[in-house]
Amino acid sequence: MKFLYSASPNLRAKRSTKQIMLELMIGLLVVYAFSLFYYFTEHGMEVALHSILLMATSLLVMLITEAGYAYCTKQKVLPFLSQSFGWITAIILTLMCPITITPFALGVATFCAQVFGKLLFGGFGQNIFNPAALGRAIVLASFTGVVANVTEDVITGATITTRMANEFHWLVVDSSMIDKLMRAAGGLQNLFVGFYPGGIGETSALLLCLIGIVFMIRKVIDWRLPIIYVGSIFVLGSVIALYSGMSNWLWYPTFHILSGGVMFAAVFMITDPVTTPTSAAGKCVFALGAAIITVLIRIKANLPEGVLYSILIMNMLTPMIERAFDGKQLQVLKKAYIVFAVVAALGVGSVVLAASQVEPAKEKVKEVIRIPLSDEYTNSLQASIENQVDNGDGTKTFTVTAQGFAAKEGPNLPDYDHGFEPNVFEIKVDTTSYTVVYLKATKIGDTEYLGDKLLNTKYTAQFEGLDLRSEFEVTVNDAITGATYSAKSSVRALLEVRKALGL
Amino acid sequence: MSLFKGRMHQHIPGHKDLTEHKDVLDVKPGKKVFIPLYAGHSTNFELLVKEGDQVFVGTKLAICNEKIVVPIYSSVSGIVVGVQKIMHGTLRPQDHLVIENDEKDEKIQSFQPLDYQTASREELIDFMMNAGIVGCGGAGFPTYMKYKSAQQVDKLIINAVECEPYITADLAMETEYIGPFITGILAMKKMAQALEVVIAVKKSHPELIQFFEAVVANIADVRVVSVPDVYPMGWERALVRQILNKNYDKLPLEVGAIVNNATTAIAFAEALIHGKPMVEKMITVSGDGVKNPCNVFVRVGTPVSEIIAACGGYTADEVKLIAGGPMMGNTIVKEEFVIDRASNAITVLKAVQYDSVACFRCGQCSDHCPAGLQPVRIVQAAKAKDKKMMERLQALACVECGLCTYVCPSRLDVTENVRIAKRQLQMDRK
Repeated sequence: MKFLYSASPNLRAKRSTKQIMLELMIGLLVVYAFSLFYYFTEHGMEVALHSILLMATSLLVMLITEAGYAYCTKQKVLPFLSQSFGWITAIILTLMCPITITPFALGVATFCAQVFGKLLFGGFGQNIFNPAALGRAIVLASFTGVVANVTEDVITGATITTRMANEFHWLVVDSSMIDKLMRAAGGLQNLFVGFYPGGIGETSALLLCLIGIVFMIRKVIDWRLPIIYVGSIFVLGSVIALYSGMSNWLWYPTFHILSGGVMFAAVFMITDPVTTPTSAAGKCVFALGAAIITVLIRIKANLPEGVLYSILIMNMLTPMIERAFDGKQLQVLKKAYIVFAVVAALGVGSVVLAASQVEPAKEKVKEVIRIPLSDEYTNSLQASIENQVDNGDGTKTFTVTAQGFAAKEGPNLPDYDHGFEPNVFEIKVDTTSYTVVYLKATKIGDTEYLGDKLLNTKYTAQFEGLDLRSEFEVTVNDAITGATYSAKSSVRALLEVRKALGL
Repeated sequence: MSLFKGRMHQHIPGHKDLTEHKDVLDVKPGKKVFIPLYAGHSTNFELLVKEGDQVFVGTKLAICNEKIVVPIYSSVSGIVVGVQKIMHGTLRPQDHLVIENDEKDEKIQSFQPLDYQTASREELIDFMMNAGIVGCGGAGFPTYMKYKSAQQVDKLIINAVECEPYITADLAMETEYIGPFITGILAMKKMAQALEVVIAVKKSHPELIQFFEAVVANIADVRVVSVPDVYPMGWERALVRQILNKNYDKLPLEVGAIVNNATTAIAFAEALIHGKPMVEKMITVSGDGVKNPCNVFVRVGTPVSEIIAACGGYTADEVKLIAGGPMMGNTIVKEEFVIDRASNAITVLKAVQYDSVACFRCGQCSDHCPAGLQPVRIVQAAKAKDKKMMERLQALACVECGLCTYVCPSRLDVTENVRIAKRQLQMDRK
C-alpha cells in the first residue's frame, strides 16, 4: 500500500491548456478552410494552392525553428514542441497575411515571430509581445509590395482596407463618396460575409463572430476582451461619425468593425492571454486601449490599418495595467471603474481631436480638368491623318498623328531629352451615326509615366460612343499638366477626324 | 459575471451521491484511541490526567488556558497510556494523549445540562466554552469566541452549505439530529441576540430545503435560504457576501452577522441537552479510492486505518489519503492519523497524474479566487522572492481554498505556490 503525497487541492477541473489550444487551432482551421474555399471559387486552384503553400511554409519554419531551439538549449525536442504551441502562432501569422505574400517573406516572418517574439523571452508564456503580431509587423516593414507571381494577376486592386486608408482617409462624409466606397467593398453585407480579398483569414466577420461566440461559451477566450474591443471601436466610430456630421452614420462604425483585422484580432489576437493582463479589470482596460489606438492609427497615422500596432503597443503597457489593479478585486473595483472611465474619456477626446484634423475624403474636384473643343492650345497643336481604312461595315478606322507635349514643347525646353515625337492614335468611327467606336493610342511620343496615361483604358473609355456632331469635352482625372497636354493631343486627333468626315 | 471582477467561485461536481443515501456506519473504537492535544490556535495544553489513570467517556483530559479556553474530553473509557507525537490531520506531528480502551464504554456526565430558555446569554457562552465546542466547518476555532463580543447581530447564518465535494457528513447529522439542530440554533440565536436566523442550503439540495422549511415553519425568525451550488459557498466570507451582499474586513460581526456550521449547532445542543462534550463525530469516508464509501460515526481519536478497514479498504495500491475534503484537506502519507473534533471527512482518491505545462497567464485563478486575489501574480512574486510585491498583492488574505489550482488549465500547483508566498511573509512578521 502506497500513500502518495500532493499538496491540496487534489481535484482538477477537466479543462486543460492543451485542450484550449486544440480548440483554438480548430477555430483557426475553420477560418482557414473558409478562405481556401473563397480563393478556390473566386480565383481558382492556383491561388488556393498558393495559400496552402503559405500555411505549409509557416508551419515547417515554425517546426524547424522550435526544434532547433530545443536542441540548442538541450531540451527534449518532442515534449518541448508539444508544450510550446508554436503552431498556433504560425497559423495566426499566416491568416493575418495577405494572399499575395511570398512564402519566403512568410518564412522569415515566422522565424522572427518564433525566435524574437517568443523563444528568446523564455518560451511559451514568457513573451511580452504577441509573437504573431510581431511577425506580421516584420512582413509589413520588410516585404510590403513583394507580390507572389501566382497571385499577381488575380488580386489586382488594393484591398478594401488599403483603399479606405489611401483614397478615403478613413473618414468619408460625402454621400457620393460613401456610395463609391460601398461599391468598392461590395456593400456592408459583403464585408460581413467576407467574400473579398484581404488578410487570408481576416475577411469573414460573420465566421469570426460565430467562432468567437463559441469560444466565449467554451471559455477558450475571455469574453471581456473581444466584446470591449469591438464594442469600443464601434462606439468610437459612432463618435467620429456624429462629430463629422455624417448623415445616415451607422454604416461608418459598422465599416470600422467589419473591415481589416478587427474581428480576427478580437477573436484570436487580443485574446492571447500571455501578452494581456491577467485581471478582469486589466483585460477591460487593455481592450479599451487597443480599440482607441486602432481607431487613432486608422484615421490619423500613415498606416493602412491600426489593429496590429494597437496590439503591440498595448502589449508594452500590459505590465503597467497589471500593476494598476494589484490587490483584492473587490477593493480595486472602484479604481477599475475610474480608470476605465478616464481612459474611455481620453479615448473619445483624442479620437474627436484627431478626427477634427482629418480632411474628410471628397471627390477630387480640383484635380479634374475638362478640355473643351474650342481650347486654344488644342487648336494650336499640329495633326494629320496618316491613313484611313473603310472597313466596309459602315465604319472607318483612322490613323492620326497629333503633336503632344514632347513634339510641341520639347524643342523649347533646354533639358528635355525624351525626343520630340508626336503621338499616334487609332480612331474608329461609325460613319452613319458619326459616333466614335474607340480611340486608342498606338504610339506615345510624350514623356514616360505622364504621357502614357493616354494608354489607360479608363481614360480612353470616355471616347466610346461619343457623338462627333455635337460639342463634347474630355475629362482628365489627373492634375499633372503633362498628362493634360497629352490629353489635348488626343482631342486634337479627334478634331482632325471630325474635319476629315466633313463635320 | 461582472465586467471588472471575476466570478470568484466555481461549480465543482460534488460526487455527493456516493454517500448521501447510504446508512451511517457505526465504527466502534479500537484498542487504543489517540486524543489530539490540539486546538486550531494552540497546542499548549495542561494535562489533567496522568499515565495509568482510569478515564471514562466524558472525563476532562486536558485544558488549554491561554486567552482562549478549550477543554478536551475523553471519547472512550480506559487507561491513560501516555502522550505520543504522531501525525495530525493538519499535516504536522502533534502530541496525542493515548488511551487504552477497556471497551466497557462507561460514561460519566462531563457537566450539567443547561436549559437554554432559562439560562442567560452569559451562562450560555460560559457553558459553550466549558463544553469545548469548536467549529465543525474545518478550521476548528473555539465557537464561544464568536459570541463573546457579539453585538447588534442582525443575522445568525447557519452554514449547511457543505461546499466541499464528496462530503455529506453535515447532511447526515442534520437529518439524523434535526431536534437538537433546532435547539442548537435557537440557543445560538439567544447568545447572539440575533434578530433572525437563516439556514443556508445549496439550491441543488431541494429535498433538504423542503425538510428544513417544514421544520422551521412554525418557528419565528428562522428561515431557510438557498444559495448557488458553487465552491467555496460555505466559506464564511462568501456566504455573508451572498446572503447580506456585504463585505467585511476581518470578522462577519462587522456587518452584523455570525456564521456557524450546522454540525456545530448540533454538537452544542448535545452538550446542552445531555451534558455531553464533542467525543463523537460524523465522518464522510468517500472517494474513488475506498471500496465502500459511506458516512461513519466514530469516536474522536480513532485512527483512520481502522475507519478505512471498516469501509472495506482501498480500491488501488496507490492512493491519496486526504484528511478532509479533496479541496482543502491535507494529503497524509501515513494511515496513523486520527479523527479530531474538527474533522468531517476522509477522502481517498486514486492517484491521477496530471502533466503540467507552463503558465500562460490566462488569469483563470484570479478570475475565480473567492478572496479576489491574483494567484498568478502572487506566484510570480514568490518566484522572484519579491516580498514587497507579495505584500502588495495581499497574499496573506489567501484562505487556501484550492480553487486556483482546481481551475488552472495548465495543471500547476498554484495554491501551493501561494502558500510558499504566505509562509515567506509570515516568517517576516514573526
